[in-house]
Amino acid sequence: VEGFIFVVLHLIIIKYKIINNEFGKVRNELSEELKEEIKKLKEELANLKEQLRDMAEARQRRSRGLHIDVGGSVQDYVEDVMEGVAEGIHGELERSIFIGPGGVRILKGEPEREEHETEVSFPRVAEVMSALGQEHRLRILSELMTGGKYINDLQEKLPEITTSTLSSHLKVLEEAGLVVQEKVRGRYLITMPGRAAYRMARRIARFLERGSQE
Amino acid sequence: MTWRDYQLGSIVSRTAEAMTLWKTERGILQIGEGTLAVPIMSRDQREGFIFHGHGKLILDTIVETESGAVGKPTERELNEPFLMIGDAEKTREKLSGVGPKDLEKMGYKDQKEFIERARAFFDRFLRAEDCKCLGLGKYHGIVFAFVHDGNGLDVLAVKGTRFVYIASEIVFVSNGDKVVLTSPGEVVCSDHGKLLVVKKACRY
Repeated sequence: VEGFIFVVLHLIIIKYKIINNEFGKVRNELSEELKEEIKKLKEELANLKEQLRDMAEARQRRSRGLHIDVGGSVQDYVEDVMEGVAEGIHGELERSIFIGPGGVRILKGEPEREEHETEVSFPRVAEVMSALGQEHRLRILSELMTGGKYINDLQEKLPEITTSTLSSHLKVLEEAGLVVQEKVRGRYLITMPGRAAYRMARRIARFLERGSQE
Repeated sequence: MTWRDYQLGSIVSRTAEAMTLWKTERGILQIGEGTLAVPIMSRDQREGFIFHGHGKLILDTIVETESGAVGKPTERELNEPFLMIGDAEKTREKLSGVGPKDLEKMGYKDQKEFIERARAFFDRFLRAEDCKCLGLGKYHGIVFAFVHDGNGLDVLAVKGTRFVYIASEIVFVSNGDKVVLTSPGEVVCSDHGKLLVVKKACRY
C-alpha cells in the first residue's frame, strides 16, 4: 500500500510540475503579447501626439494667414496650398451661405453693405413700393403666403375683387417680381422678395400703429 | 452601344397633327402640325427623331420653398431643328408622308437639304461634351437637345416626372420634391420645401 501511495504521490508531483511548466509557458506568452500591445499603444500615442502637434501648427498658420515654406518638402508645400484653398472656400461659403429666412444665416464681414444697398435704383424701389401700395394687392400677397394658388382659388378667397381686377393686380405684382406664375400649371406663387416685401410692409404698419398709440 | 452607332435615316416625314412630345406638371414640349422629322437609327431601329417645325418648350424652372419661390419659368420657341432620342415608336405612329409644300414651308428645296441640315445638327450633338455624358443603354427616358444662341446645345433629359434641363444660363434638376436650380451667381436646392441657397456676394 505504501508503495502504491508513493507511486501515486510521485505521479501527482510529476503532473503538478508539468502543469506548472505549462502555466509558465502561457504566462510568458501572455507577457510577450502584453508587451507587444503596450508597444503598439505607445506608438499610436506617439502618432496621435504628432497629429495633434500638426493640427495645432496648422491652426496657428490659419490664424496668421497662409504660410508657405518653400524650403520645405513638396508635400508640405502642397499641404499648405491645399490648406489655403480650403480656407478660401470656407471663407467664401461663410460669407455667402444662408438657409432660408427663419433658418440659419451666416453673415460675416460686410462693411460695404450699406453702399451696396444704395446701388438699388430708386425707380426699382418705387416700383416695388407701388406694387405693395394697394390694399387688394396686399390681400393677394397675404393669400399667397400660405402657398401657390390658381386664379380661381384666389377669386374664391377674395370675392370682393372682380376677375379682371384680380388679373391686373397679379400682373403688377408679377412685373415687380413679387409674384411668379407657373406656365404649365398656372398657379401663382409668391417669390422670396415678395415674401420679404410683404413682411416688411406689415412690420412698418405695425411699427407706425404702435407709434401712434404711444 | 455608343453614340457612334447612331445614324440618320433617309426618309423624311411630317407630323399629321400638333403633338405633345412630353408633358408633366412642370413642363411641356409641343410641336405643331407639319413639323418635319427625320429618324435617328441605331442598328436598323428607330431610336429618335430630328424635328424642324414650329414648337414650344415650357418648363416651370421655379423652386417653390417655404421661404418663397425662386426662379422663373422657361419658355422657348422651337423654330430651329431639335433632337429627340427615346419614345420613337410612339412618335412614329403620328407621322405621315411629307410633300414638297411641307418642305417649302420650312425653307427646304427638297428632302436632301433637310437631311443635310439635320445631319449637321446631329454631328454637333455628338460632339457636345454634355451629351456624351448621357448614358446610353441603361437610360430609358427621353433626351431632347436644342440649339441655343451660341454654338452650344441645351439639353433636356426626362424620365417620367423627373427631368434635368441644362441650358446656357441655368441648370434645373427636378426629382419630385427635390429640386436644384443653378443660375449665374446662385445655387438653390430645395428638399421637400426646405431651402438652401448659395449666392455669390449674398446681401440677405
